[in-house]
Amino acid sequence: MTATATVERRSPVNDRVPDRRSSRHVSGSQIAKYGVLLVAAFMALFPVLLIASTALRDPAEVRVDPFALFTSFTLESLQRAWTVGGFSAYFLNSVLLAVPSTVLTVVLSTGAGYAFARCRFRGRNLLFYVTTLGLLVPFFALMIPLYFQLLQMGLLDTLVGAVLVLTASGAGGLSFGIFLMRSFFIDLPVELEQAARVDGCSEWMIFRRVMLPLVRSGAAALSVFTFLQNWNNFLVPLLYLPGGEYRALPSALYLFASGRTMEVGAVAAGVFITILPVIAVFVVAQRQLIRGFMSGAVKG
Amino acid sequence: MSTATATRSVLAQTRREQGRLGVLLVAPALALFGVFFLFPLASAVFFALTSWNGSTPTAPFVGLANVREMLGDPAVWHALGNNLQWVLVGTAAPLLIGLLLAVLIWSGVRGVLAYRLIFFLPFLMPPIAIGIVWGWIYDPVNGWANRLLEAVGLGELARGWLGETGTALWAVLLAAVWSYTGFVVVIFLAALQNVDLELVDAARIDGANAVQRLWHVILPQIVPTFITVTTVTLVGGFSVFDIVFIMTGGGPGNATAVLGTYAYENAFNFSRVGYGTALALLITVLSLPFVVALNRVQRRLALRGMGGGAP
Repeated sequence: MTATATVERRSPVNDRVPDRRSSRHVSGSQIAKYGVLLVAAFMALFPVLLIASTALRDPAEVRVDPFALFTSFTLESLQRAWTVGGFSAYFLNSVLLAVPSTVLTVVLSTGAGYAFARCRFRGRNLLFYVTTLGLLVPFFALMIPLYFQLLQMGLLDTLVGAVLVLTASGAGGLSFGIFLMRSFFIDLPVELEQAARVDGCSEWMIFRRVMLPLVRSGAAALSVFTFLQNWNNFLVPLLYLPGGEYRALPSALYLFASGRTMEVGAVAAGVFITILPVIAVFVVAQRQLIRGFMSGAVKG
Repeated sequence: MSTATATRSVLAQTRREQGRLGVLLVAPALALFGVFFLFPLASAVFFALTSWNGSTPTAPFVGLANVREMLGDPAVWHALGNNLQWVLVGTAAPLLIGLLLAVLIWSGVRGVLAYRLIFFLPFLMPPIAIGIVWGWIYDPVNGWANRLLEAVGLGELARGWLGETGTALWAVLLAAVWSYTGFVVVIFLAALQNVDLELVDAARIDGANAVQRLWHVILPQIVPTFITVTTVTLVGGFSVFDIVFIMTGGGPGNATAVLGTYAYENAFNFSRVGYGTALALLITVLSLPFVVALNRVQRRLALRGMGGGAP
């Protein structure tokens, strides 16, 4: 089922099966194919390289020629951003927003996804369709009333408020989580459940000991996806943490980049600090992330 | 007879326990969802019927006055036009480019994993990072966009891409397409794995060339995925906000204003909470028919046994 397994099979579009002769003799269409892919890959990578290069160059050089690529290497900009620029605090705030909201989303979605997939109770289908509303209605539609609601509840400018909003209505929130986890649970065979019941398992034990371990990789994929969504979320910290005490990386960068001096080196360092965890998580968990995405989207 | 009754009562008890567990598991998620999604959504509908400014204790009810104002507001029509361009180009470009790249990778190349990694990365970038780095690329003096044009002898085309009304929207759109295409590639690659290779082989034996095989054999098998991706992109196109807000704030003038930025501006800069909310709801209302229509097409395809399938 993995991509490699399929793609390394015989080439389905090209007539020629790669054999010794064709690897020595490279055809024009092969050149064109690799040409297109390499150019596209370069274009996909270039902006990321530009961020890394600018953040890691000598700030004095950046001031003269801001966007030259990898002409020098120093951690000076990063160090300044982390200490003087206050990015260590923004980083911590981003962690405090993204981690609890991810844990909460995954735990609640797993429970609700199981219930919607395998437990029969009154109003189940209606409730499930209500939760999928969050996939149809953009966050945008509620962003304004939510501001005033949080203000009235005393949750504006609190981490708790922002975490709850990320969990309930963010792009990586409960609607997507429940939808995805339900689709994982629905695929499990009924026989498992029945066998456990015959063995005298309670309904809770069936969920906890039999079914839950089987969707572990799905839950892991959801965790990675949710974490990235919440880490990247721009509007929630900008709107609902306006005081500045809990400023997260994206809102800090926004205020910094649109502010007074356009100090490219410093902004680049901030952007680099913001995307480093994204790249790290992606590289470590890319297989699970992509698999989770595929099962969610390909099945529709 | 008695065993049958016993079985039935055991079954009934299982049902009851199952139902209880189900309600228990759903309750916390639904409570949160109710308070922080459904309630504000209902408030949004109420706000949209008022002319509230965000600071008075009560919101003056004005009925459909906001809707009437929207219809006569040239800024709304201008923003809607931009949204439309965004939806059309922002959906078509990633779909076509993504499909092309996915098929190329699938057709057998070395380094599949590397390509998949590289193409997916832009999709995971935070909008703030995308906005800032593309702002640099479009920099009028030092940006790589202009440097590239000069390098290939098209120096006279160099300009401040984000600062001119004629190019700003396209420049922002390109950054979005850059980020989104990788998502399409990965999803299509996954869908292509389910393509029946025997059919492809049969078509090859029957003398179909690569383009014919792609169009007549491979594409029909991934139609459900095609529709899913289109739905997601279309909805995203209507509700676009972050990247425009970050890169241009709707400017220069209102050249890149979309419904999202115009709604934000009204609610938070002009204290027109009622009108801003009405605009935000308009976005939702506009995108819903597309979702429903595409969902229906997908369901019909699923019924015809073309795989995929609606939940």
